[in-house]
Amino acid sequence: MVLLRSEADVDDWCRSHQEPRGEVLPLAHVWQLAQAWYGDRMNPDFRGRSIDSAHAIFREVGLDSNFWLG
Amino acid sequence: MITSLTDQDWQVRLAIYHFFVEHERPPSVGEMATALDIDLESVRRVYHRLHRGHAILLEPGTDDVRMANPLSAVPTPYRVQINGRWLFANCAWDSLGIPAMLASDARIEATIDGGAPVRYAIEGDKLQAGDRFVVHFPVPFHDWYDDLVHT
Repeated sequence: MVLLRSEADVDDWCRSHQEPRGEVLPLAHVWQLAQAWYGDRMNPDFRGRSIDSAHAIFREVGLDSNFWLG
Repeated sequence: MITSLTDQDWQVRLAIYHFFVEHERPPSVGEMATALDIDLESVRRVYHRLHRGHAILLEPGTDDVRMANPLSAVPTPYRVQINGRWLFANCAWDSLGIPAMLASDARIEATIDGGAPVRYAIEGDKLQAGDRFVVHFPVPFHDWYDDLVHT
């Protein structure tokens, strides 16, 4: 996942790296996602992430497109 | 993503994370065997089970940890200063994953396509980013584990 300055820069990046365009999130939204995804990573009870629990996290932070849930 | 890992496997995984954060690099199999007082071969098997279960990522054909998400064993464009240490994150998302995982303030230095470093921070649970940044996720979630380095 690559840091860029703007949506326009994403298009340029995809062209120059010959990569398809995926989803673009503001950095503040990524902070929300990081907290939900990684907050329990060093909890002694952490036992990995099932697909269902991953989907639940995406929904929790408002990511409900096919890109995340497909 | 979740395979039949044992409680001991998960305990080794957690010990890898603690060592990684403490030493700014992942532990070798030998270091983990010594730290946990487990024989070398058993620890090696755990490393490879954790790799197959996507709990860590090993360098191909080795016992060396390349990733323990969000931590990277190799230099990347995302460097995180946290609790007096410098840690590399695997990607832009993981640069925020490290302060999320450690529940600590952090300063992040990132480069965009090899340009001059840009900085952002987590302070008191809030993102401080002077400029507006975005993160591009090129790969849909269901393909993330096909090639973690590329993802």
